[in-house]
Formats: sequence, structure tokens, C-alpha cells
Amino acid sequence: MKANQIAGGDTPPASPRIITPNAFTILVTIILDALLIWLVWKSVTDGLWFFTVTIILIALIINYAFLSRKNYPLRWLAPSLSMLVLMVLYPLAYTLYTAFTNYSQNQLLTKQQALQVIESRQYLPEEASAYQWVAYRSPENKYLLLLIADNKQVILLAPEGQALETDISISSDNIPEEIGSYIRLTRVESVKYLTDLTNIEFGSPPSTYRIKSLNEAAQYQQRYLYQPDTDTLLDQETGMLFTPIEGTFTSPDGQALVPSFFVPIGLRNFNRLLHSPALRGPLLTVIGWTFEFATLAVVTTFFIGLFLALIFNDPLIPGRIRKLARSVFLLPYAIPFYLSILVWRGMMNPHIGVLNRLLVQLIHYSPPWLSDPTWTKIGILIVNIYLGFPYMFLICTGALQSIPSDLLEAAEVDGASPWQKIYQIQFPLLLIALGPLLIFSFAFNFNNFNVIYLFNNGGPPIPGAPTPAGYTDILISYTYRLAFEGGRGGEYGYAAAISILIFLFLAVLTLIQFRYTRIWEQASENV
Amino acid sequence: MKKLFVFISVLAIASMLLTACGGTAATPTIEPTAVAQPPTEVPTIEPTQVPTKAPTTEPTAAETPTLTIWVDSLFADITQEIANGFAEEYGVNVVVQPMAFGDVRDQFLTSAPAGEGPDIVEAAHDWVGALAEAGVVAPVDLGDRIDEFATPAIQAFTYNGQLYGVPHITENVALFRNADLVEVAPATWDELVDICEDLEATGLEYCLLLQQSDAYHFYPILTSFGGYLFGLDDQGNYNPDDLGIDNEGGIAAAVWLDQMVKDGHIAADIDFDTAKSLFNEGKAAFYITGPWNLPAFQEAGVNYAISPVPAGTEAARPFMGARGLMINAFSTQPALAQAFLTELWATPGAMQQFYESTRKTPALLAVLNEIDDPDVLALGEAGKYAEPMPSIPEMASFWSSMGDAITIILQQRADPTETFKNAAEQMRTAISGQ
Repeated sequence: MKANQIAGGDTPPASPRIITPNAFTILVTIILDALLIWLVWKSVTDGLWFFTVTIILIALIINYAFLSRKNYPLRWLAPSLSMLVLMVLYPLAYTLYTAFTNYSQNQLLTKQQALQVIESRQYLPEEASAYQWVAYRSPENKYLLLLIADNKQVILLAPEGQALETDISISSDNIPEEIGSYIRLTRVESVKYLTDLTNIEFGSPPSTYRIKSLNEAAQYQQRYLYQPDTDTLLDQETGMLFTPIEGTFTSPDGQALVPSFFVPIGLRNFNRLLHSPALRGPLLTVIGWTFEFATLAVVTTFFIGLFLALIFNDPLIPGRIRKLARSVFLLPYAIPFYLSILVWRGMMNPHIGVLNRLLVQLIHYSPPWLSDPTWTKIGILIVNIYLGFPYMFLICTGALQSIPSDLLEAAEVDGASPWQKIYQIQFPLLLIALGPLLIFSFAFNFNNFNVIYLFNNGGPPIPGAPTPAGYTDILISYTYRLAFEGGRGGEYGYAAAISILIFLFLAVLTLIQFRYTRIWEQASENV
Repeated sequence: MKKLFVFISVLAIASMLLTACGGTAATPTIEPTAVAQPPTEVPTIEPTQVPTKAPTTEPTAAETPTLTIWVDSLFADITQEIANGFAEEYGVNVVVQPMAFGDVRDQFLTSAPAGEGPDIVEAAHDWVGALAEAGVVAPVDLGDRIDEFATPAIQAFTYNGQLYGVPHITENVALFRNADLVEVAPATWDELVDICEDLEATGLEYCLLLQQSDAYHFYPILTSFGGYLFGLDDQGNYNPDDLGIDNEGGIAAAVWLDQMVKDGHIAADIDFDTAKSLFNEGKAAFYITGPWNLPAFQEAGVNYAISPVPAGTEAARPFMGARGLMINAFSTQPALAQAFLTELWATPGAMQQFYESTRKTPALLAVLNEIDDPDVLALGEAGKYAEPMPSIPEMASFWSSMGDAITIILQQRADPTETFKNAAEQMRTAISGQ
């Protein structure tokens, strides 16, 4: 590479640099490819098609970037492009796909995985009986199996395809300690080799025996046999045929085999949502509060963050205090949100909460943070301010420091009041820099599940709602209730369908916001 | 053309590299998936390949099989201690991984099919339905030894006629009282109300603590008035279409709760931590809770006593919960896992050891019948009529709708009769899959 770069430096800059991949690049590519091929193979055997496609896509990006001569710069983008595919495109595509399937807690497996479970089931044919067993092991790790029937009859067996060479007479009263070089395993020792043993088929076909458990071996047969050409499962015990219906192997008389697997079901999730009482009921309340919350959350945190940033950016305040304050203000940001929210919830408990005890002493009123809709909303906003203002403080401080000081000095010379300086110079410049971040923050709070769910579970609950809902539920926590807490729980397909609708809603909204505020245009003019 | 050539040769070398790796290091990771898929074919390959290699290339350490168990972090130490016995006696290593019990179910559901789950997982019995329907747990065969366990505990782990776990402990709620305030346990709700009125006259603020939005602790109250959750069908399985929360008894329970709140005997906005702290400080007379609070009460030094939840129109039937060990359906060593459960875990020795360390009601009769701990005995008395908490997946809607209904009544936001009727309606809608 180094040689190439030097050579490139000699040529006039106008001509494109053509760089042949050298040995090192090819070696790296080979290693990466090996890893990716292995991943592809793994995911194909597990039937994870989406993941397979993603990995292949990443593999193509990497190979193209590293082996193409013309696209040398792509090489530096390859890691981030791969990450983009893996972390953004794949989840998006997969959510989209999931929305059209019946993926749920009861239909969690792929067809291959479900077949794997079903096909591993065994049955004991009627004419066969179960035996107790004793195993023998040779120093070369080979095994012999001695079966003891209830009527004291014994059968000695070697693994399938292996000759049995012995002439020892064995009876149930006379179980030998060793057979040739094979030494009898005690019950305790058998446990250690149990996994090996259960994987061996003993005897010669068609009458082969398997160890099922420590106590039992028998002529177990695979119960269900998958027939790929007809896509059916044959029950070898009863001869019944099971055909897959919507992800469940079902017999003609309606018997279903668990586990089920997930399959595409078209638009049914969306249909279900459209006909759900969830839409007739408290949806409007929920949407209303979602907007209220997202807007208020941004506005409150932004202005408090800005206020503090303005104060602690002022040169009148000594540098040491400024630095100290900045570190202190960042503390809430450093504590896990999860923890902070629960601590706040504890402090606001009407019976034992510190905050409420204090308020009772001060104003003789204990706000019902958890049971009154309005107070819960106020409580959530307070907690959110605590969690959110450090971020706003941080970005405001950064943006303020990037405003050239000569602008402010010029304003001062022209006789501007401090308020005019803030309102007419700093604030507009800030908004240009921070506008996109504020819109991002709005989108984040629109889906701010943590605060809502951890503070009061979306409660207090709305009486008479057709599906469970609370006064402080936002769209995403309402979705969670519908898909995970109602019905049979864990309905991922349904949840994906709802969240796609929320995504579309939010995407349109964000686009409108961008248009309306014309932030991009303004920003580009000013840069 | 040349580019394509480079690309193809890179791919070719990569796959060669892969097969080279596969020959040595990758075998153990790749093999199991192949083993599990076609059970009839593999054995012919497996035993000849693996054992012939093992003694020559690797010493005995690699031969030692290892079982992995996910256990509630509360029980991790004692489980590891018991499992170490398995290692000593049988030469099988057991790795106990402490887990936050609340996350186990979801983590297991996702990691088991991916082949990353443990061989054995500790589960609450009410997960059985979901886990069995999802196909991630394998049936357990206890044979005749099934009679060595308390019947309700076995029932709790049975789903569609199959046993899916070996129970080790059972638990149920009871009425805990502060014995300094109340000497004699009330047998009926009327007696409890009388006691409350007397105590409140002397300035007691909290008489009965009931956790808000919590259908689990409310269930004995519901049943004491004749309500129930799901009825039973002909085969004795829970029938999600037969709801008993808005029948006469269910409504009576709702009205009773409403009256208790109006009379100031039960307060709103009590959650687990609040209730525990109020009871510990001696500010409350009664608390419906379970054995999980015993260590906290003992530590706080509160003089508690345990009795059955009082009767309304009939005896209260709390939910019985059980914990047990289950086998991962995707485990590569199911027989070994099963042997661990039957040979070591479900034996009086191990269960006695477990009981002495945890003081939880054991499910194994041999240990249960020997107990002399007064708390455990009193809890057992309170659980005399307990019913195994249903494990059918429809329970999700019960927790959510019923929890909301209880909160609404506690916060006095709507009429109790309407609230319970609406909760039942919500559940019917949810169960019908709308």
C-alpha cells in the first residue's frame, strides 16, 4: 500500500489512482470471507433466510470494496456500510417481514427448527418392549450394550455396522464384569458416557436398539417422518399424515402437533389491527398524549438545558466553577435511566416517598403522582426533565461555544442589551445548529418507552377501555400492551405491524417538520 | 474477467480455510446441529469419529461432559453446591449460571432454538404452557417416582398430559399479620374488618396491605367470594372460554374491595416495596404476601405471624406456584440432563440440602413430611386449598386486564361492578384473538 501511495503521489493528481490489491488485502479478505461463509452456512442450516441475505450482502460489499481497483476509497467505507446493512437495514427489513408473518411466542421457531424438535420424538412400537441396560466400554472408546428384559432374558449388542466377537455365555444372574477388552460401566460411570451412548444405534437393522434414559433402552423408532416432496409429516405409529396449516402440522381430524412454526400470513396482522376494539377505544387519548408528551419533553428539557448553558457559558462565572458545574450536570446522564426512573418512582410514592413527605411538610399536600392522570403526566415530565436536560445542556453549550464571539462583541458595541444578544443573535444561530437534533429528540421521545412504562406502567388505567390502556400510555407502550400483555402474550408479528404503522406516521411527521422549518436549507446557507 | 478470477480464487481459498478449521477446532460447535437433525443417521458417524480421535489428541479433560443450568440467582450458590456432588460422584461437570429470574423466560425462548441455551433451566410452573407450545422444552420422564412428589406440584408442571419439569419448591400467599397488633388470626373477612376498626380507632393508618395492579395477590380474595379465573373442561384442563371473574362471586369480591377502600381499610398506590416497608416499620396490621418476604421481615425484626387468607362466603384458594427444572428441547445431551434430574436433583439428600439453605416449601414428599419450621408449616396450612396457577398462554390477558381493574377500584375511579365486567370483557376479546 505504501508503495502505491508514493507512486500515486508522483503522478499528477488528475489521473485516477489504480491500486492493485496486494497480498495483505487479499489475505484479510480471505479471512473475512471465511468467517462470512461460515455464518451463511450456519444461518442457512437454521433456516434464517433474512440473516443469510444480510450476510451475503455484507460479503459482497466487502469483496467489492477490497478487490475492486477503481473503488479504493470504498475500502474505508466498507466497515460502516457493513454495519449499516447489519444494524439498520436488516432490522428494518426483518421487522417489515415479521409484520406479514404470524411470528409469536407460540410460533417462534422456523420450520426447520420445528421439524427438528418433532422429528426427534420417538415411539415404542406395540410389539417391542423396553429393557434395562448395562454398557461396556473398551479403552478405545467403543461400546457394547447388554439388554436385560423383564423376563430375565439378555441380549448383547454391538453398535450398528460393527461385528460382535464374543462367545461368553451371559445370563441375567451372571452379568460379566468384562467382555474381551470391554469393561462393564457401573451405573455411575454410565452417566458420564450417557450422551455418547444415546447417540449410538445398537444391533443390526431392522431391529436396532437405542438407549433412551439411564434406566431404559428399547427398539425406539422415530415417530414422525418428514416427507419433503409432499411437505407432510407421517406419524409412523398411527400412519396419520400431518399437513402444515398456517404454521402448524395438522392432521385431517384437527389434531395439531406442537411446536408450531412461523409462516407468512399476508395482511392479516394489519387487518386484525383495523378491526380491533383497540382502535375504537382509547386510541385518540393515546395519540393525543403521545404528541403532548413528545413536544413537552423536548421543549422543557431544551429550555432548561439552554438556560443552564447560557449561565454557565457566561465569562462572568469563574472557569473553575463552570467546569465543575458542567461535570455535575452531566451526572444524571451517566446513571442508567432504568435506575433513575425507579428511584424517582420511589421518591414520588404517596405513602413512603421522600419527595411526598417533604411536600406534606412544606405545603400540606401530597400529590397523587401514581393515581391521578394529570399528576402522573406532570410526574413523568419532571422525571424526563431530570433525564433529558443534561443532553440539551451539552449540545447547547457546544453550539454556544461555536458562535463567534466577535458577533456578540459587535452587538455589545452597537449597544445591544443582554436580552437582545440572546434573543436576536445566540438563539437564531443556536436553532440552526440544533434544529435537526431537536427533531431527533422529538422522535426519540415519541417512542420513549422507558420513562412511561417504568414510571407508572402507562397508568392510571382508563376505566371502561375495551382493551387495557392507561392515561399516560404513549403509542409504543400501548402497542406493547396490545401485543405482549393481551391475549396469549408475545405476538411479535402483530407488534411489528403496529410499529410499522407508527414508523410511517413518524416518518411523515418528521418530513413535514423538516419542510416546515426549512432547517436544511437554512443550515446549508449558513455553513 | 481478471477481477472475477481474483474474487473466485479468494472465495475458494476462504472455503478451504474454512474446511481446514472445521477439521480441527470447529468440530464440536458444528457437530451438534447435525446430530440433532436426522437422529437415525448420525450415530453411525458420531461414535466412530469422535471417540477414535478423543483419546489420542486430547487428554481426559475434554471427555468430561458438561451440563449448563440457568438458575435464579437467589438459588445459584446452593444449586452449584448440590451440583458439585454430581461432578464428584459421576464425573459430569455442572455449570450453574445465576440469572435474574424475571428475564429467564424471554431469554430462554430466544436462545434455546438458536442452540445457545442451557441444558437445564429453572422455571416457574406457569411458563410451562408457553414454553411447551413454543417447543423449547422437552418432556421429563419421572416414571414411578412421580408419586414421590406433592401432587399439585406435579400437576403444575403437567401440560396437555405431559410432565415438563421436576418441581423442587412450591409457594403460595398467606395472610401475614403483625402479632404485636393482632394476637388472634381472623378466620373470616368480617372478623378482619372488626379488628381493623378497633385498630384504626387507636390511630393505625394501614390495616390490610394489598399490592396494587396485582391480580396474583388478589386471587385468594376473588375465590373467597366464589369467583374464579378459568373453569375446567371435561379433561380437567383449564378452559379459557369459561371466565369466572364477572360471575356473582367475582362481582361480590369487587364490591367488597370497593367497600374496604371506602372504609379506609385498604389503601391505594401500595406497591411491593411500599408494602414491605410499611409492614416492616410496624405501620400495618395485615399484609397478603408470600414466603419471599420472610427474610426481609426477619431482618427488620417485625413480630409476624402467618395464617390462611380469611374466608368470605367460602374458603380462600390462593394460587400455588411451583418452581422446577426443565430440559431444553434443543439440548445436545437430553439423556444426561434427565439423569442429572432423576439421579441427583430429585433425591431426598439434595432436596433436604436445598431446603435447609432456602427454607422454601419442598415439593419432594420425603423432605416435605419431615419439616418442623413453623413458618413453612403455617404457609402450607394457608395453601391447603391452593390451586396451581394456570399455565395456559391466555394468562397474559388476566394479569393485564385484572391488574388494571384492581387498580381502578383501589383508586376509586369507577364503579366496581362495571370495572370487573369490563375486565372480563377485555379478556374475552383478547382471548378470542381480536
